[in-house]
Amino acid sequence: MVRQLRQVWATVKGLGVVGRYLFRRPVTVRYPDAKPPVQRRYKGRHYLTLFADGMERCVGCELCVIVCPSQSIFVRAAENDPLAPHSKGERYAADFQINMLRCIFCGFCEEACPTGAIVLGHDYELSGYTRESLIYTKDMLTEKYPGESGRDPHREL
Amino acid sequence: MSSERAPASPAQMVHLTIDGRPVAVPKGTTVWQAARQNGIEVPVFCYHDRMPPLGACRMCLVEVEKMPKLATSCTLEAGEDMVVRTQTDRVRQAQQAILELLLVNHPLDCPICDKGGECPLQDNTLRFGPGQSRFVETKRQFRKHVRMGPVLVLDRERCILCWRCVRFGEIVAGDDALKGFERGYHSQIATPAMEPVRSKFIGNTMEICPVGALTSATYRFRSRPWDNRTVQSVCPHCGCGCATTLNVRGADLTRTRPREHPEVNDIWLCDKGFFGYEFVGSPERLRAPLVRRDGALREATWDEALGRVADALRSTSPEAVGVIGGARSTNEDDYLLLRLFRGVVGTNNIDFRVETAYPQPTSRAAWGLPVAIADVERADAIVLVGCDLTEEYPILWLRVKKAIDRGAPLVIAGAWEPEVARWAQHRLIHRRGGEAALLRALAGGVRAEDGAAASGAPAEAIRAAADTLRAAPRALVLAGEAALEQPGAERVLAALDELCAACHGAPLGILRGRGNSGGAQVLGLLPDMLPGYRPLGDPSAREAVAAVWGRPVPSAPGRTVRGMLEAARAADLEVLYVVGADPASDYPDARAWEEARRGLRCLVVHELFLTRTAEAADVVLPVLAYAEKTGTVANIEGRVQRQDQALLGPGVARSDAEIFVDLASRLGSPLAVASWEQVFAEIGRMIPGWAEGARLAPPRPGAGAGRDGAGIPDGPLPRPEGALALVAGRRLFDRGTMAARCPGVRGQAGEPFVAVHPEDAARLGLRDGMPCEVRSPRGALRLAVRVWAGVHRGHAYAPRGYDSAPVSVLLDERGPVAVTVRPLGAP
Ligand code: SF4
Ligand code: SF4
Ligand code: SF4
Ligand code: SF4
Ligand code: FES
Repeated sequence: MVRQLRQVWATVKGLGVVGRYLFRRPVTVRYPDAKPPVQRRYKGRHYLTLFADGMERCVGCELCVIVCPSQSIFVRAAENDPLAPHSKGERYAADFQINMLRCIFCGFCEEACPTGAIVLGHDYELSGYTRESLIYTKDMLTEKYPGESGRDPHREL
Repeated sequence: MSSERAPASPAQMVHLTIDGRPVAVPKGTTVWQAARQNGIEVPVFCYHDRMPPLGACRMCLVEVEKMPKLATSCTLEAGEDMVVRTQTDRVRQAQQAILELLLVNHPLDCPICDKGGECPLQDNTLRFGPGQSRFVETKRQFRKHVRMGPVLVLDRERCILCWRCVRFGEIVAGDDALKGFERGYHSQIATPAMEPVRSKFIGNTMEICPVGALTSATYRFRSRPWDNRTVQSVCPHCGCGCATTLNVRGADLTRTRPREHPEVNDIWLCDKGFFGYEFVGSPERLRAPLVRRDGALREATWDEALGRVADALRSTSPEAVGVIGGARSTNEDDYLLLRLFRGVVGTNNIDFRVETAYPQPTSRAAWGLPVAIADVERADAIVLVGCDLTEEYPILWLRVKKAIDRGAPLVIAGAWEPEVARWAQHRLIHRRGGEAALLRALAGGVRAEDGAAASGAPAEAIRAAADTLRAAPRALVLAGEAALEQPGAERVLAALDELCAACHGAPLGILRGRGNSGGAQVLGLLPDMLPGYRPLGDPSAREAVAAVWGRPVPSAPGRTVRGMLEAARAADLEVLYVVGADPASDYPDARAWEEARRGLRCLVVHELFLTRTAEAADVVLPVLAYAEKTGTVANIEGRVQRQDQALLGPGVARSDAEIFVDLASRLGSPLAVASWEQVFAEIGRMIPGWAEGARLAPPRPGAGAGRDGAGIPDGPLPRPEGALALVAGRRLFDRGTMAARCPGVRGQAGEPFVAVHPEDAARLGLRDGMPCEVRSPRGALRLAVRVWAGVHRGHAYAPRGYDSAPVSVLLDERGPVAVTVRPLGAP
């Protein structure tokens, strides 16, 4: 008898939880029609950032390459033409690729970068039909305009 | 003071304590070395164990009991009962202070510095440095980087003034390429007036610079240390066979570095070794076989190309087949060449000595060093006859320089003054053709005056040099191409024997041959030799070879390169098979080659590039370069070294060995070859002592072989009035098949030139840099004039190895040539 009463009480209590949530604002988002906001320090796809004058920050030092635990990054450096430099200093990244399929979004590359060139943005919609399309090239990674990634293009570092 | 003490014997030990550990080291050891030998690390910057200590950087400070101040351990000799501490707070503070001061003016631009990741300054700062900078003022600034010629990039901001590079030039290379300028805060490393650096060894300063102040222009920004795979290899250029490490990133050969080999190159390389690697990745490399169809070379399949070669070989009698080359292949390739051509085809017309028209029989004058390279530095006197050492065998010069530093006199004889002449005690610059008389005078066989009259070298100098040599108990005589590449070579050899005998039986080295010539010689890629220096004429040697091959070896001696070309002219030779050689540019008579080519029915060439010879060929087979195959090579002292595959070849290129194996099957006698190791082992069955690292020294030239010709009078060459005797010499930096595709070498080589003595220049109206026409009875070349007092009067010096202006156009295989040099107006 006591046992049965307890079971009824448990059911009522359980339904109470249901009832409580029934009248709350739902947490489900109707993705992709609606997009949930991400945390400020969320680590999504990478950007190669620019200075305000359009100069590339990346100097092709390959520190991100060596720190990357999943070996996702490939950089080939070259020497700047002093009359038409890509970056400040003698060296720039002639080629820069990140394999998004390998990346684990740890952010180590951002931390290792001595010039603040590589930052992980908030973009997480990274899918594709081929492997090749998920190897992001320098063109895809570089900001379309200074500040696109959210990083202040006036900041020195 | 030292006279009272017993002389320090190597067994005399001193005992001291380092970090509480008792250690015993031979007397004369420095505290730094003592610590290092006992596994205690003391950081250094200026000290380098191949040079005497200097004490400039103070990084190596240690605390020594009873010494009031910290002492530099690199300069402090270990003393009896010394108590040394390397880990105390005082030492740590001093290390931090030194590093902090070094970094005051250091730009710390590691992200864009090529040294990053392999930089002693980074490493020492991380381990011993303060970790924080207190310096907020502006740093000293220089123009960021300066290109000092085609290979060196100087960044003075990064220099920590350790003086290693300067001292390398003073002590090791002897070329004083880099110097310190200004004082104190403004001190900097440079060349006078910042002109391009002139050195054959500057790559080594990039290796020993502890920061990124001296970096390579060819490696610049191409890779990081962590990108590079390392592969052991051997330098393919001169015959020294320096041990190298190739750095490979993906499919890209990024740089060559020296690999320590105490017996060969120690830890050094010359700049051709450092920068002569880029030809491997050149887009001009041949990628597919070429076959002549309707008069033009067209791409073909291997099947078609090899089918054509096999048909030619099958339809020709063995005596009408000849093989030239082999000095650019591995020993295993060369051995299979022998099995194919001696065993299967059945010809002895095999000779690797493409660049000589006066070959001496190997039994009488084997090429190479009879002593080990490392023993050169132990000679008491060194005679260089017709050998431009830094141009031909640069790494040997570093050994000779060490001998000179020990007090050994250097005697130089030649038709021009080599770069190292300033280190010579006696310089005997003579007329070409006067070698034999000069050498006999040096030996005391004829009077100095007669030697002087016949050679043009001053009698006084000859006498003085002879006295110097007589006083040296263990001299070394080294003769080069310039002395022996002439019709009188027999007499020169006889005179060299006489000189060696007069020098208490000094060994005679014949410094000739490049790349794997040493291997080609020991394997017997020669018309009259079998593997292991056994003469072809010896029936038991032939039988021993036949037993391994299962096929007889033809007994009649074959033809030399010159003999093959003569036979081709007379249509006695129909098929010529050239393996990694360019006789059209390198055989010292271009016209003789052309005539021979016309007489050939079929010319087959193994090549990396479309050389002059390949352009004229019927079948061109693309082959792998040294970095693309594993195998062994041997150098001028006969040392066998292994090189590993670092890259895949271009297109469908194959190794020489694969081609020989394929041809043998097409000719119906397959060679069962599974791997290079198997071939290597088979060579071992034929040559006693054959092993990796072993040295198969060439037999001492002249031993037992009586040379005729002594006593034949010598004299100046007859030549028309106003003409100059042409002497052709080798340059380290040239523009040959491989070097022309290496920007670092090509850039240093500059344009081809002809050098004349200032007096001749004045007489002929020639000025430095002016274009001129050099004409010999055989042909003519357009060259730039270089006025140079180093060449003997009445002579014109032209470099070999420029494929765009091959000096062979002027040369005549029948004898020395005289040339007229005519100005072509101002540049
Ligand atoms: S986020 Fe991490 S895994 Fe991804 S590229 Fe950067 S370092 Fe590599
Ligand atoms: S992104 Fe940063 S760490 Fe990576 S190569 Fe560029 S500058 Fe170096
Ligand atoms: S350039 Fe390099 S090796 Fe030369 S003094 Fe400066 S730091 Fe030393
Ligand atoms: S000395 Fe000769 S073998 Fe050595 S690196 Fe130079 S060219 Fe190569
Ligand atoms: S290493 Fe001893 S003073 Fe420089």
